[in-house]
Amino acid sequence: MLRALTYSIQEAWESLGRSRLSGLVSVMTITVALLILGAFLVVTSNLQQLLAAWQSAAEISVYVADTISPEQRAALDDLLAGSRAVASHEFVSKSQALARFRAQFADLAPVAATFPHNPFPASFDVRLRQEARQAQTVDSLAASLRKMAGVSDVRYDRVWLERLLLTLAALQAMGWVLAGIVVVGAALTVSNVVRLTCYARRHELEIMRLVGAPMAYVRGPFVMEGALQGGAGALVALLVLWSGFAFIRGRYGEMALMALGIPELRFLPVQLCIGLVVGGMAVGCAGGLVASLGTEAGEGLVSAAPVAEAQATH
Amino acid sequence: MIDADRLSKVYARGVYAIRDLSLKIDKGEFVFLTGPSGAGKTTFLRLLLREELQTEGRLMVHGRELASMSSGEVQTYRRSLGFVFQDFKLIPGKRVFENVSFVPRVLGVTVEQQRRRAFQVLKWVGLQHRMSAYPHELSGGEQQRIAIARALVNEPSLVLADEPTGNLDPDLSLEIMNLFREINARGTTVVVATHDRELIRRVGRRAIALAHGSLTEAV
Repeated sequence: MLRALTYSIQEAWESLGRSRLSGLVSVMTITVALLILGAFLVVTSNLQQLLAAWQSAAEISVYVADTISPEQRAALDDLLAGSRAVASHEFVSKSQALARFRAQFADLAPVAATFPHNPFPASFDVRLRQEARQAQTVDSLAASLRKMAGVSDVRYDRVWLERLLLTLAALQAMGWVLAGIVVVGAALTVSNVVRLTCYARRHELEIMRLVGAPMAYVRGPFVMEGALQGGAGALVALLVLWSGFAFIRGRYGEMALMALGIPELRFLPVQLCIGLVVGGMAVGCAGGLVASLGTEAGEGLVSAAPVAEAQATH
Repeated sequence: MIDADRLSKVYARGVYAIRDLSLKIDKGEFVFLTGPSGAGKTTFLRLLLREELQTEGRLMVHGRELASMSSGEVQTYRRSLGFVFQDFKLIPGKRVFENVSFVPRVLGVTVEQQRRRAFQVLKWVGLQHRMSAYPHELSGGEQQRIAIARALVNEPSLVLADEPTGNLDPDLSLEIMNLFREINARGTTVVVATHDRELIRRVGRRAIALAHGSLTEAV
């Protein structure tokens, strides 16, 4: 088995050396396919990170009127403290809200200094319990809060967060479908390129068949050639993806982090990178295997003479 | 060794390549199959190579019915055969030594054994000095000797040759036949298909004559 593997690798390597241009086409198509998939995965994994951060952040903001009385504020405080849906809550005064704005948007601090009076309302930032995040529980809490005296507005993130999650899922599904289509195309390209190799090696294949060479020797080089092309395509895709990612992070990274409020922009995890390379090799293998299936039948390899002979007798 | 019993091979539109052929070839024999073009010589060799299956009758080699073999058994069976064709069927991109050592290589033989066996057979056909040449650099006679070396490298018990001298002049043809005689002298069964009656007469071995796929005479 080891000899068959060594033979397959040697022959595949030689074949790639011989058919450089067609091999390059295979590698490029796999690169494009995995680049599309990889780009979608990078974007969606960072968006997921962002959504996770948003989900764990304050989910209900209860804005109170400037005229709220201490009793009304205490009643609100009691309601939130007594609710089973609330994990924690925190009162943010008008001056704290202004300070928060100045800290988060330092560039706009001079503008804030020009305000004749503090325009930011006081509020309660409310975090919900994980288990209480079903729509009904949160909806009823929000409704109760709106009815309370002194409450001017209740901002509730769930609806648009859910919409974002759905959009993200759709984006991911689109990425998979698109990558799937391109991957099938890539497998077909590999298959056709390997088929060219089959034709170039038809003399060897004929001899191999006639001497009873095991299938591992007959098909192995083609499958290996596909795998090498697939692996190379995946590595190039990862390299291009990483370069693009590093460029974007270097140029727009800080701006993105500040705007989105996530700790860092992430590339694909190592396991996923390995998965993409293995996937690329698998696609290449499949293409090579499909191409090599035709080598088994081998009709007409020895000679078409008998038919001609037989017809001559008739 | 080879036992054909009422063998027939019919191609499309009911064309008979072999019709009701019965013959026996013993182990260690040297036999010619002869007859004009279309007599069924090549078809019979293809049946023996298990490249095709008969339509009717039975074909036994080494006591095994070829038609009932599984694909794995066919592989094993073919490893006991050597074959030589009129057009040599050498691999153009490989050197002489690689052409010969290719067979043991794809059968999983160790590199050392591949080299030893290839050198031995090349020496035996007298072409060890051309081992680095490419097939197109050799004469027709040399190419056929390389093809014979390749057929022998796996030490087969049966050698099949289809018009091995078809592309060679009479002197070279006799030289090639002498190689087959030597192979046979070592105990290997040899079946040679040829339409060259003069060559058969000069070699002087049993000849099975076919016409229209049937036996006409056995000499």
